[in-house]
Amino acid sequence: MKAIKIAHLYPERMSIYGDNGNVLAISQRMNWRSIKNEIVKVEVGQKIPKDIDLIFIGGGQDKGQVVVANDLLSKSSQIREFVEEGGPLLSVCGGYQLLGEYFISNDYGQIQGIGLFNVISKATDIRMIGNIVVKSEKFGQLVGFENHSGATEFIGRAQPLGVVKKGFGNNPTDKLEGVIYKNAIGTYLHGSFLPKNPKVTDWLLRQAIKYNGQNIKLKELNDELENSARKFAAKRP
Amino acid sequence: MRSLLAILAAKAALKANRLSGSGGSSFPGLIAKKIDSNILEKMVLNNFPRGIIVVTGTNGKTTTTKLIANILEEAGITYVHNRTGSNMERGLISTLAENSDISAKISADVGLFEVDEAYMPKVCRAIKPGTIVVTNLFRDQLDRYGELDKIARSFRGLFEELPTTKLVLNADDPLVASLGYNLESERKATYFGVGDFNGPKLKHDYTADSIFNPFTQEKLHYMDRYFGHIGRYRGKRGGFTRPKPDFVAENVKQKGIESIRFVVNNSTKAIKLEMPGLFNVYNSISAYAAVKISLDLSEKDIIFALNESSAAFGRSESLNYLNRDILLLLIKNPTGLNQVIQSYLLKEKDRLLVFVINDNYADGRDISWLWDAAFEDLSDYKGKIIVGGSRAYDMALRLKYAGLKGISIEPDESKLLEKIEKNSSKRSKVFMLPTYTAMLSMRSKIVAADEKAKEYWQ
Repeated sequence: MKAIKIAHLYPERMSIYGDNGNVLAISQRMNWRSIKNEIVKVEVGQKIPKDIDLIFIGGGQDKGQVVVANDLLSKSSQIREFVEEGGPLLSVCGGYQLLGEYFISNDYGQIQGIGLFNVISKATDIRMIGNIVVKSEKFGQLVGFENHSGATEFIGRAQPLGVVKKGFGNNPTDKLEGVIYKNAIGTYLHGSFLPKNPKVTDWLLRQAIKYNGQNIKLKELNDELENSARKFAAKRP
Repeated sequence: MRSLLAILAAKAALKANRLSGSGGSSFPGLIAKKIDSNILEKMVLNNFPRGIIVVTGTNGKTTTTKLIANILEEAGITYVHNRTGSNMERGLISTLAENSDISAKISADVGLFEVDEAYMPKVCRAIKPGTIVVTNLFRDQLDRYGELDKIARSFRGLFEELPTTKLVLNADDPLVASLGYNLESERKATYFGVGDFNGPKLKHDYTADSIFNPFTQEKLHYMDRYFGHIGRYRGKRGGFTRPKPDFVAENVKQKGIESIRFVVNNSTKAIKLEMPGLFNVYNSISAYAAVKISLDLSEKDIIFALNESSAAFGRSESLNYLNRDILLLLIKNPTGLNQVIQSYLLKEKDRLLVFVINDNYADGRDISWLWDAAFEDLSDYKGKIIVGGSRAYDMALRLKYAGLKGISIEPDESKLLEKIEKNSSKRSKVFMLPTYTAMLSMRSKIVAADEKAKEYWQ
């Protein structure tokens, strides 16, 4: 069986707030099901392998983001084709912003995104910090921790990941959180996001396996601890 | 007149605090500042004839300050210093009010203050320290401090505003070292560093935040990385590179979890610290550099004081509990936690490990950082693990994904000690890793339980 290949984009520059936990969740939940998998780290100036099955990009500091944005533009067509063909992708916070049309930052002006998502983001004076609870039609309750001052808005047609029950989400006003386009997700949820939201992880894995051309059904795992952690986190101030 | 009122009010509040037994250290400072907004500035004016030393940075502030205090004591220099938890503006005012007479006169040679990174510009503009020590800069409670670059930028701006202040900077931390590079005020900072380290290193270290040239964003070349982004590195010719340390620790040799030895600047006398870990070598060498550069104390006094020092409150503190030896190891951020793993836990296979993870404001509400720590380096661990605190389930989940087994969960703090007793034998060592507020409460619970047990037997 061919290994499921995960591209972790820019771990050196875009790996803040426990983004490592997301990659770990993806990998461990395959290991526990004896599904072969391989994590490929892709830094600035390096190519994304052609045979990848899942892409992850995390959040970074504003300073690192400019260098990454320029590099992302060179990978734009590959990433967009991958998603158009049904390839699964998860982007968190800064990564999410750079996959939109553009991001207007305080210090560096307008940073061009790759336009995968129909969203734009702007720096604000409001720091949106705290535990966040989201209700998603697809995944049920999602929890995480958000910490951003960039506000994201939809332009044209876009589907949110969910509706905010506690916290801010995309911006301080419309109570929507994240975006989902085909099998690509953008979200502001750190926490780390995937370990406490295993339904999202398993959904990403199913898409990755399908994209890889395999036909295996995911075994159920015991998610008691994941679910308890999510319930406890949802209650925290 | 105003300052007199402010000092009197703060003193009254301090007294009320003591009588009620509450340890709140910021309230007296708050009142004083309400009465006189310039009170901090006024209280250092005409005081501290031998200068003010400020210690800041992500990790090691408290221990470094304590080491400097020990050295001053050994050299017979009187000082006033703030306790941990009072390292923000109000806490500092409280400390000064406590030590001053009503005319704002403080009889001490030196002011020695640990200052929270976020309060550095505000505090230092008021007290104008003669020396500033920056230990290191790592991601830490990003919900409170914001991003590292912003902290670094605010420090650089502050240094330009204080052109006569001596800067003592970590050469081995690129972001900290860069704070002294090409300053407009054209002064040379004093650098400390470590020349070599052959001790154990972590395989799953994800805490390297600053491995790029802070001015050009180009990747730095590391000859040796000790932990996180701390190590010996170089940049491109003609640009920013690791400065040659003026104070360098070499021949670093760790002896189990008991002690670590090293030599400073080729001295014939070695320093033997009664606490383990490379981070304590950094704490010592920064203290060494600070007292040398600001007060020119003798090597003999410095080495003697360092050899006699123990770690600060809750950091590698050994407590007795029903004949068990509980070692408290405060954890606050991934780098600090990694240092605990690297220095204390790598060789451990079967002792009881207890994690107490709270998410109160002082701990940082965001516990994402647990996912950045190197728990994967503990995958050979075979002993029992207990997790507690308001985020016990998150901690248990982190350990599960690191592949660790034998974890039991007890979110109720009052039942935690009982559980520890059941899962450990007498005369055994227990490693307890609490976050800040968990450390305070577990420490007082352990001390109270131990005293109660002693009374019973007397």
